[in-house]
Amino acid sequence: MALVLGIETSCDETAASVVDEQFHVHSSVIESSIDQHRAFGGVVPELAGRAHVATIGPVVRRALTEAGLDPLDPQILGIAVTSGPGLIGSLLVGLSAAKAYALAWGVPFVGINHLEGHLFAPLLERSDLEWPLMTLLVSGGHSLIVLQGGPGEHVVLGETIDDAAGEAYDKVARWLGLGYPGGPEIDRLAQSGTSGALKLPRSMTGDDYDLSFSGLKTAVVRATEKQHGLPVADVAASFQAAVAEQLLRKLRSALEHHPVKGLALAGGVAANSALRAGVTELAQEFGIEAHLPTLAMCTDNAAMIAAAGTYRLRHDAASSFDLSASPNWQLADVS
Amino acid sequence: MNILAIETATPACAVGVRTTAGLEVTRVVDDGRRHTEALTGAMQTLLEEVGLRPRDVDRVVVDRGPGLFTGLRVGIATAIGFSQALGCALVGVTSLEMLAGGAFDAGVRGTLVACVDARRGEIFAQAFLLKDEVTVLDEARVTTALEIVASTEAKGAPAIFTGDGVERYRIDFQDRSFATIFDQVVPSVHAGLSIGSSRMPDEVVSPLYLREADAVANFTTRERPK
Ligand SMILES: [Zn+2]
Repeated sequence: MALVLGIETSCDETAASVVDEQFHVHSSVIESSIDQHRAFGGVVPELAGRAHVATIGPVVRRALTEAGLDPLDPQILGIAVTSGPGLIGSLLVGLSAAKAYALAWGVPFVGINHLEGHLFAPLLERSDLEWPLMTLLVSGGHSLIVLQGGPGEHVVLGETIDDAAGEAYDKVARWLGLGYPGGPEIDRLAQSGTSGALKLPRSMTGDDYDLSFSGLKTAVVRATEKQHGLPVADVAASFQAAVAEQLLRKLRSALEHHPVKGLALAGGVAANSALRAGVTELAQEFGIEAHLPTLAMCTDNAAMIAAAGTYRLRHDAASSFDLSASPNWQLADVS
Repeated sequence: MNILAIETATPACAVGVRTTAGLEVTRVVDDGRRHTEALTGAMQTLLEEVGLRPRDVDRVVVDRGPGLFTGLRVGIATAIGFSQALGCALVGVTSLEMLAGGAFDAGVRGTLVACVDARRGEIFAQAFLLKDEVTVLDEARVTTALEIVASTEAKGAPAIFTGDGVERYRIDFQDRSFATIFDQVVPSVHAGLSIGSSRMPDEVVSPLYLREADAVANFTTRERPK
């Protein structure tokens, strides 16, 4: 059985995982430094980098032992490590460690694009996926609509021209005096609010698939400045509905122009209840399957990196030791 | 004992290997802060040159700082990964000890202040006495070149200064009757191999930052990466 060790350290999660070529997850370990960042309302790069150095060794060891492997001689096919995009100081920790493990064990390693990793997440829970697939990848760092012909084949149809969806959630949450990260809190409040309470503009009405959330955030700020005493739940519900409306409208248009067999959600914002409901409905309407990964597979993890790695190690050359981290690596540039 | 030493606290990246038979090679890759790109390949090359396989390495010695934060993390993450993968010993030494050891090995004797460039007008500094052996005189700390020069002068005894912190603020150190400069920019991996071979292995090696994360001191707003 060909096993791949995945390592992910692009943001605030230190993660390691062992996955086989059938995309079965043998272990998936995640340590987050999120508690250290809360007070700052966002991930502090230097703190994240420090946390990664402290956790990388134990996390990798646990991933190996939980997969039933000998940590000194794990008998793996290779190592997959996120080499971008992400925080440079964080990426470097995982990349450096991955190279060292590869040298020590004499196995190949491959640098994986974090976003491509997210695209492999649905495969970890459904090996019988039917292609092609339309995927909405939304998180604190990214917002893209991607057409996937098969594993490792993807065309970016559209992406955010400013903030990521999750970033907009964080900013609005901060404005409303809610905690960080903002997504779960706004989602929770939105359940008891009225989504029509706040008139927010429909944004990005063009017929491309690009997204934008900066304007929505500004509109929320303006509206709440003008109308004091608006219930926070109503603001949350209105904002959440506007974000979902834009995403689902663009997705619908993508589905109309590109017939696919399935519709998938990926990224941390995929935990959002409005989005999950909307995607399920949209898939029903088009008579295709909806793939809503569990929260553990939506958010950053190393199993998805290992999964992408099994594919890349089989189809492409391994990386060489002089590989750099690429903090701004675009998914469209993955070949 | 076959030992491998890693140095990434300054803009250069250096690696050293010493074998049980006493064969030693060291290499400095100095192309400016490209630690990640240079380090593992240099380790592989040096091990091949002395005829060792990675699993023959008994001990990994790593410079844990103070120095460039990112460089330290690259070096320490590499050292952690390599030693853990092989189940071999890991030892952390400081950049300031390696500078003192490098000067000692070159025959320097007397009171020596090792200075590593800390950026933003500051240096990391520590004083050592180089006599029959190297002994530590004070705690490593963040200071400025002018402060360290003034406090040395106040003690009324001559001192030798070394490290890239001296290189960076040479103007503050030179032409002073009580100060001599020993030119040495990269902490010595040769010294690192020697210090690391005689020390008890560490359970955990973590970077010696000597400075809080900037953000903790003055954080305004920061977004997640695009
Ligand atoms: Zn992500």
